[in-house]
Amino acid sequence: MSDEHKPAVKAGPAPVHGILAEYDTPSQILHAAREVRKAGFTKWDTYTPFAVHGIDDAMGIKMTILPWFTLCAGLIGLATAIVLEWWTNAYDYPWIVSGKPFWSIPANVPIMFELTVLLSAITTLVGMLMLNNLPHPSHPLDQVRRFARVTDDKFFLMIEASDPKFDEVETRALLESTHAHALETVLEDRITEEKMPAGLVYGLIIVAVASVVPFALAAKARYTKSATPRIHLIQDMDSQPKYKAQRENSFFADGHADRPEIDGTVAVGDARDDDKFYKGKDGDTWTRTFPSQIALNDATMERGRQRFGIYCTPCHGQVGVGDGMVAKRADSLAQGTWIPPTNMTQDYLHQMSVGELFNSISNGVRNMPGYAAQIKTEDRWAIIMYVRALQRSRSGSVTDLPPDARASLK
Amino acid sequence: MAKGSKVTKGSGDGPNGDNIRLAEVGQALFIKALGVGVVALGLSAVLGMNEKDGWNRFSHSYLVAFVWVMTIGAGALWWITIQNIVNSHWSTVIRRVAELIAANAPVLALLSLPVVLPLIMGNPVMYLWADAELMKKSHELHNKIGYLNTTFFAIRFIVYFGFWTLLSRFFLKRSLGQDKETPEAAAKTVVSMRRLAGPAMIGFAITITFCAIDLIMSLDPKWFSTMFGVYYFASCVQAVNASLALTLMWLQGKGRLTSSVTVHHFHDLGKMVFAFTIFWAYVGFSQFMLLWYANIPEETLWFKLRFANSWGTLSWVLLFGHFVIPFFGLLSRHVKRNRKALAFWCIWQLVMIYIDMYWLVMPTLGFDEVPFALIDVTCWIGVLALFIAGVAYRAKGLDLVAKNDPRLPDSLAFENI
Amino acid sequence: MAISDVNPYEAPPAGANMFARITDNVSRIAETPTPPRAWYIAFGFAQLLLVMFLGSLGWVIWTGIGAWGNMMPVAWGFPIVNFVFWIGIGHAGTLISAVLFLFRQNWRTAINRFAEAMTIFAVVCAGIFPGMHIGRPWMPYYMFPIPNQMDMWPQFRSPLEWDVFAVSTYATVSILFWYMGMIPDFATFRDRATTTVRRVAYGIVAMGWRGSSRQWHVYERAYLILAALATPLVLSVHSVVSFDFATAQLPGWHTTIFPPYFVAGAIFGGFAMVVTLAVPARQFFGLKRIITIRHLELMNKVIMATGLIVGYAYGMEFFVAYYSGNKYEIFTFVNRAFGPYGWAYWTMISCNVLFPQLHWFPKIRTNPWATLLIGMVVNVGMWFERFVIICTSLSRDFLPSSWGYFIPTPIDLMTLGGSFGLFFTLFLLFCRYLPMVAMAEVKAFSPAGHAHGDH
Repeated sequence: MSDEHKPAVKAGPAPVHGILAEYDTPSQILHAAREVRKAGFTKWDTYTPFAVHGIDDAMGIKMTILPWFTLCAGLIGLATAIVLEWWTNAYDYPWIVSGKPFWSIPANVPIMFELTVLLSAITTLVGMLMLNNLPHPSHPLDQVRRFARVTDDKFFLMIEASDPKFDEVETRALLESTHAHALETVLEDRITEEKMPAGLVYGLIIVAVASVVPFALAAKARYTKSATPRIHLIQDMDSQPKYKAQRENSFFADGHADRPEIDGTVAVGDARDDDKFYKGKDGDTWTRTFPSQIALNDATMERGRQRFGIYCTPCHGQVGVGDGMVAKRADSLAQGTWIPPTNMTQDYLHQMSVGELFNSISNGVRNMPGYAAQIKTEDRWAIIMYVRALQRSRSGSVTDLPPDARASLK
Repeated sequence: MAKGSKVTKGSGDGPNGDNIRLAEVGQALFIKALGVGVVALGLSAVLGMNEKDGWNRFSHSYLVAFVWVMTIGAGALWWITIQNIVNSHWSTVIRRVAELIAANAPVLALLSLPVVLPLIMGNPVMYLWADAELMKKSHELHNKIGYLNTTFFAIRFIVYFGFWTLLSRFFLKRSLGQDKETPEAAAKTVVSMRRLAGPAMIGFAITITFCAIDLIMSLDPKWFSTMFGVYYFASCVQAVNASLALTLMWLQGKGRLTSSVTVHHFHDLGKMVFAFTIFWAYVGFSQFMLLWYANIPEETLWFKLRFANSWGTLSWVLLFGHFVIPFFGLLSRHVKRNRKALAFWCIWQLVMIYIDMYWLVMPTLGFDEVPFALIDVTCWIGVLALFIAGVAYRAKGLDLVAKNDPRLPDSLAFENI
Repeated sequence: MAISDVNPYEAPPAGANMFARITDNVSRIAETPTPPRAWYIAFGFAQLLLVMFLGSLGWVIWTGIGAWGNMMPVAWGFPIVNFVFWIGIGHAGTLISAVLFLFRQNWRTAINRFAEAMTIFAVVCAGIFPGMHIGRPWMPYYMFPIPNQMDMWPQFRSPLEWDVFAVSTYATVSILFWYMGMIPDFATFRDRATTTVRRVAYGIVAMGWRGSSRQWHVYERAYLILAALATPLVLSVHSVVSFDFATAQLPGWHTTIFPPYFVAGAIFGGFAMVVTLAVPARQFFGLKRIITIRHLELMNKVIMATGLIVGYAYGMEFFVAYYSGNKYEIFTFVNRAFGPYGWAYWTMISCNVLFPQLHWFPKIRTNPWATLLIGMVVNVGMWFERFVIICTSLSRDFLPSSWGYFIPTPIDLMTLGGSFGLFFTLFLLFCRYLPMVAMAEVKAFSPAGHAHGDH
């Protein structure tokens, strides 16, 4: 290093910074502190390996304002949490989650608490460092060898020369009277450079500039467009080698990946060429007879009864007259928009062919949706068989009943 | 000597010559409190009879007052148990006062009879489950009949108050005996009290939990919360610390314990009131928020009742009055070290605990709006006055300080930062 | 020369007072050129576990979450159990630092430094699990309210989001508190440093602390404030963790007592870990005069007290399950004890409720090795408690057709075991390089630390 970088050593002895006294026990330092305070000094301090109980009073140290920093920070933290939670979840992008209100105070309390504590704690530590002037890299006391024991087992008291009452002789005498273990004159620090080392300054500048780079890159990515896709490190199954609908495929002449259905192809088991069974049609008209696949016996009737009970009774009621639960509810709501379900026991439905009935069930009619997706073909025929039974039951006479059942009507 | 307290030599036989006997002050207190209590409860009975509802209104008002006083009485027992477990030195000088309050457990048992006796005899006016037939027929309730029946309750009642009586008597007797012992024996007494305090705390936790469940939670037998015992306990701790502070201030006002109990002790009691303000809010919030969040009707109905109409206003009063405002009020150390300010907040919190108990109990009365009326006030005054009379009676002729406890010098010299 | 060969109290430096002895006793642990052999053995073992840990995590990142045993209905398996386990362990450190400070329990000064360190390292271990179990650990920033191209925000109504904030706050505040506590001790290391590297390194972190009383005044106030903040924080963090479960409608999860129950359990498990670390530490680092039998006894009493609170909560859950009359709730508790996971339940009960009762006997709670054993047993029990709560409740909930039995995969087990490797690695490095005991605080509360006649 050239001479220009060395600090100019001023001529003459270094001025006095203060007088340092060393003590061995907490009692001694407390006594000394009281004496110094009584003598009216203002620019002085004690240095101890731990916080000595009672030294605040002995030295007349006023209560610090740090708790106010904490309180303010806490309130700011609380306000931040409230604004954050309200703005993000209740204002900017409100969406319903498990039926809770957008601004759900009970659910928002935990984070309000956490941010209050977080800001308070950070402020407390930073505030403490600031109020204590830390970091404090160099100090004239660093040149005093014996002072290294302040963090071990010795207690020190120093009165600074800048104090108005300071006098080299008298102050020294005062400190001697406090039974100090040792006294030393502390000189101003002439060895440590006043400026920060160049290397450190350059380093800090480089770090400051470097730390801006990620944000700059993020801003660039956010506000510019790019022709290349984003960097995608973890592929997962994001890019799958398959053809999606509406895409190109040069393998085929027309260039489509989608291919039309070949005429006449049908999935296995899906050939439904029995129009009577699958559509209720006899040529061009609705069939008037049940298809041969349906056995007209008790088992089918029972199946029809059961399926009717599941799918049809909600609207049409237990006996098919249109008094199902849904219909009753709609009636009671009386909103004026309800068209009642058909009463199946009416005359014209007695006349309606089973094929047409089958069509109504499968594809729906007027307001009734189609049930083809829910009810198997066989079951639909079974339901129709049961409907016929219901119609018969509403249009019969006493003579239709077997003799032993007639008695129950009386 | 503790900093900040004036040392004046008195003429009594307590530390620093403090007067440590209630003497004529106690006698006057006893008579006054007894008189006020009897009159107030008599008035309550009249008002209750006037309602002509089978004592329903009276029972509810009385229960609120009783469970409020129980927070102080049971809280005192907890307080002395915990001071013994942790071998606390700072609290030695005030422990005797707490022991006297805790030893009032038999009076507490007597005071509970207007609500407990009808229950044991099967009167379902307040506790639906006293009616065994109703329980058997109810779909939701018949499962609980093994617990919610009058016989088992009677046994539990005897266990709760019997345990509290025996425990408080043990502590008081040992403590009083220690007053006359040699230093070595006194040190042994400290250890023996500490030895019992550990298992005693387990018993206390169980008894206070189930007492709160039986007396308060079972008012709505369909509702349940595992946190309920802890919730009631939080109020107990706050109540005892606030009551102790107020009691000691009153005693000092009457010339007792004037220099033994210092600003440092009050500061610590204030810290406990503050800490348990936060703890109560934490417990209450947890209980509420979890039931709110899951939104299961079986559990939320209890809160729905307490949010309707003016009950909702009362709920807000409870949140702000019992937590938010006292939190900021008691935050500063200067407040806790200032007599008037601390007294204000202690009274405030005790009133708030009453409102909390009111909020817990009264909605089951079935009114849409908060029915606060004179009968509530007379019951409150009556039960409290009789409780105080009990303490004054117990304290007759007894020293108000455990003057032979080896930890007493530490307690007297105690300094709070 | 290994630490354990020297007993500073047998041959104190000439003319050394108590303060110097404390400084020496603690500082030489970090200053000695080679740590004791036990340290190497432990460190080696920790490294093996750490490699296993990193390997398991790497495998999961490479192949996906399917490497774990999580499967419907037990969608939350080992990762969450481990997360709650480690966070819980961290709480003891904060309790010792902050809560015992507020209660003026000066015996804490011997153990608070390494308990706080334990907290930090436990939180580090804990934080890895939610980070991994989100499935795409390269996208954790979704959990934070950072403006993004989808204009979406985190869901603040979710307990999992509260967790993010709670654990982050807890980690931050713990690190701040721990660091602040170490400033005066870093200054001690700086002033005793014999090499430039040590002097500069400790000097930087000591911030130029010179023990000025005016600075101590602000420092002590800051310490009190941080302790007062950390106390509700420690209650809130594990309460928020318990909210992850208690806000659900699942029987066995939805109980209001969960918050204080979890906090008590956390302190219980945490203190068990503290004693598990303290007993070997005092043995092998020569700290028997600082971490005394009395300290162990007091910690065992805390373990007993919190264990009893946990037992109370078990009892309350069980009672209210009956009292509620809710058949699903009743079934859950019967299933826990007698269902397919009964073995886990009874492990939990015996480790958490039965074993710690041994501490009623003075001979046991003043014996270091019994302390260590019971501490380890409690740690096992607390892990099983979280396993029982999480996995058994999920495996059999409302619909029997949904029931399923969770079986951990080898990766699950290696991740759990390996996490101890990370924890012990960090902890052993701490012992080696950082001030293990809060020297300044121990000195302040030693008999010589009190001035006489100052009133």
